[in-house]
Amino acid sequence: MFSNLINSLVVISIVFIFLFSLLLVFKWLLFSSQWGVVTQNLPLYAFGVFPVDQRWRPCLWLLILAFLSIVTIFKPRWSWFGKVLPIAWVGVIPLGVGLLSGGLGLLPVESRHWGGFTLTILLMSCSALLAFPLGIMFAIGRQSKLPLIKYFSALYIDALRAVPLISILFFGQLLIPLFLPLGVEINRVSRAVISFTLFVAAYIAEDIRGGWQAIPNSQLEASKALGLSQAQTIRFIILPQALTIALPALTNQAIGLLQNTSLMSILGLVELLGISRSILANPVFIGRYIEVYVWLAGIYWVICTVMALLLRQLEEKVSIQRRIRKNV
Amino acid sequence: MKMRKGLWIQVLVLALVFSLILVLVNNISTNLIRSGLGFDFGWLNRTAGFALAEHVLPYSSSDNYAWALLIGWLNSLKVIFASLIMATLIGFFVGILSAGRNTLLRFLASLYVTFIRQIPLLLQLLFWYFVGFLSIQGNLIGPFKGILNISNQGIVILGINLSAEFSALLIGLSVYSGAYISEIVRGGIQSVSRGQWEAFRSLGLAENIGLIKVIMPQALPAILPGLTSQYLNLAKNSTLAIAVGYSDIYAISDTIITQTGRAIEGFILLLISFFFLNIIISNCMELLNNRLLSYQKH
Amino acid sequence: MSHIIRANNLVKSFTKGLRALDDISMVVNKQEVLVVMGPSGSGKSTLIRTFNGLETFDSGKLEVVGVPLYSNHDERNIRAIRRKVGMVFQQFNLFPHLSILENIILAPMKVQKLTRIEAEEHAMHLLSQMGITKQARKYPSQLSGGEQQRVAIARALALKPELLLFDEPTSALDPERVNEVLDAMRTLAQKGMTMVVVTHEVGFAREVADRVLFMDSGKLIEMTTPDIFFSNAKHERSRKFLNQIEK
Ligand SMILES: Nc1ncnc2c1ncn2[C@@H]1O[C@H](COP(=O)(O)OP(=O)(O)OP(=O)(O)O)[C@@H](O)[C@H]1O
Ligand SMILES: [Mg+2]
Repeated sequence: MFSNLINSLVVISIVFIFLFSLLLVFKWLLFSSQWGVVTQNLPLYAFGVFPVDQRWRPCLWLLILAFLSIVTIFKPRWSWFGKVLPIAWVGVIPLGVGLLSGGLGLLPVESRHWGGFTLTILLMSCSALLAFPLGIMFAIGRQSKLPLIKYFSALYIDALRAVPLISILFFGQLLIPLFLPLGVEINRVSRAVISFTLFVAAYIAEDIRGGWQAIPNSQLEASKALGLSQAQTIRFIILPQALTIALPALTNQAIGLLQNTSLMSILGLVELLGISRSILANPVFIGRYIEVYVWLAGIYWVICTVMALLLRQLEEKVSIQRRIRKNV
Repeated sequence: MKMRKGLWIQVLVLALVFSLILVLVNNISTNLIRSGLGFDFGWLNRTAGFALAEHVLPYSSSDNYAWALLIGWLNSLKVIFASLIMATLIGFFVGILSAGRNTLLRFLASLYVTFIRQIPLLLQLLFWYFVGFLSIQGNLIGPFKGILNISNQGIVILGINLSAEFSALLIGLSVYSGAYISEIVRGGIQSVSRGQWEAFRSLGLAENIGLIKVIMPQALPAILPGLTSQYLNLAKNSTLAIAVGYSDIYAISDTIITQTGRAIEGFILLLISFFFLNIIISNCMELLNNRLLSYQKH
Repeated sequence: MSHIIRANNLVKSFTKGLRALDDISMVVNKQEVLVVMGPSGSGKSTLIRTFNGLETFDSGKLEVVGVPLYSNHDERNIRAIRRKVGMVFQQFNLFPHLSILENIILAPMKVQKLTRIEAEEHAMHLLSQMGITKQARKYPSQLSGGEQQRVAIARALALKPELLLFDEPTSALDPERVNEVLDAMRTLAQKGMTMVVVTHEVGFAREVADRVLFMDSGKLIEMTTPDIFFSNAKHERSRKFLNQIEK
């Protein structure tokens, strides 16, 4: 009896709080919100301070990405496209770097003019592309029978997982130039990409290791019995299965990486959050925090959802058909 | 034969890593010599010269850098510890709701979790700080004056004064980690077999009692490892304090490095302080785990 | 040289003091079918797994398909043996991420460096021999246990081995699926394949085996023809075991 009363009270108060916040939101939407801070700055959110006459370049890149995403998620029936899709996804990343930085007949644009949504996507995709092979390398190293390689990999993975990302990014900005020979310059975006890569690789390695350990030993025995060498066993038997098992964790890693690119706004890059903070610093838009944050939340929400959908396609492709048994 | 091959690979990797380190160290030392900095920790004894709004121990701007770093570390500890408790409360509350039978509550819980997970923590912290606190006009809660007082100066509760920066960080971190913890709690509860629920129900125990006395003790061993890693994440995430102007260990290191240019030494000190934070958290959890396990055996 | 396996005084223990293989000496001849029997934990799996180097041994000498193997476990010799010896496992151990065809052509392509076309041609031939050509493009999880085990046999045959090892190939199968696998093995035996088979299938042993090896607690108790073993076993332990499995 008594506990029923408490239960009902809890339910009623939660529902009450929920409805009350909903009411506040509606009141704000109807009466006090002013969306000028968003609508008047759309190009800034999208491209940052990229030279106005060159904006078609990031725009083109984003359109290509959108096209690839739509094709991947909705799977039209052009069978030839299915085969080139993975190559297209890998190739589109260097293409983006090329389009933004210029050269080869395009007007060069310095990386400090890159910004907004474009830079967010660029940071994420470049770091993911580089971190993936590095992560696989460390995962293999950590499972190695050679003690030196094993402990070196383990040290790397554990050390990077023990420190906060912001410190890696901060010291990446400060230290990477110090580690380079005199006269070699490296821009802030590249430093950020290197830092993200080093950081994320450790997490990827750990996720792959998780998948690796879920593979039953009998698979290795079958491979050995067929006369495959150690390297061949890793390449053809272990990695494909470990990656499949680790795919959900890797998806979370990718989404986390996307969200973490926002930390660069503290360290002087004007990616999506950074450009928003400088817009908020403009006296015209002073105090319009809520509108900007709601808008940003919406954008991040959409990208996260799209990424989750894209990676779920991959997951379906590899695991539904092949139904790898996870630790039955 | 096999051993020899392995040995050669190791020697090769060792040589590669060493030469890489050598090149890097060489570069960095020429760079440091050129900038006239060198490598030493003597500067720790120099006067910091900056003021700190929050300090657990006495501090003034005439204290030295070492003391400022310690203050920062204690500030980190303070906000981590407080958020950890709040996040755990939120996480267990929401986790239990989302493993429960009430559809409406389950829906609200999953709404909360997906919402929090899709938005960067940094954005959430900025929201709590700039929208949640700085834009409050006057005192938010009139009727409870004296007990609870929320304004753009922060929170005053039962005479304890929490700054706006601390409060925003506390709320932001707890709400964020709470969402992740709730998923772990839900998973733990659902890992307890259905039969256990039926068993206590058939004994006539009320849902709440059964949950606390029967289900939770069995779910905890599955929950604790995930909880530990969430606590470690929370500690790492607390370094976003710099975005809302709270002086934690990272923010203070940042200031000191900007003032002194001592990036490498600063980095090493930050690593050491995080090493200690991690050790404290994982040892406490280990202790808790052992307590729990030995408790259950009896 | 008519023998394909020669074991001299093999000894192996996993835990100190307990011998999984206790001084085993034996010979398997070319084109012979040897059935290994014995109670659970007697060391049957351990024995046939030493034959292709999946288990090491502590002392003694082994010679398989002409390649010597000592307790130092030389990696090169082991790989030379594995190239000529196929193995079929109780749990099939097909690679779940590869299609049936890919499962079979993997080793020929990577170990023997055949081209994909050559390997696929041979694989299709083997699959038709096993009566499962239709399943070539499917994945292991889409096949029944009996079909999976026949794929596993085809995979083991793909390297054109001189010797096939079977470790309880039918014990993980539904009873009505056992015969399709045994039939495939029978056909192989008729074609003159040398096989060492750990199994509890008495019918198969009586009919196909040239000799039966009986083990208990790591020791080779007796090794005779099936006729003698099943009707007139010399040893007390063999008779006890036979009584038990006949029940
Ligand atoms: N990897 C291992 N580690 C430790 N002990 C092992 C291992 N493998 C086998 N053994 C032990 O060696 C002995 C022989 O095992 P083996 O698997 O060869 O028996 P078996 O005759 O195949 O039994 P079954 O009919 O159950 O398959 C057993 O006592 C077993 O416990
Ligand atoms: Mg066995």
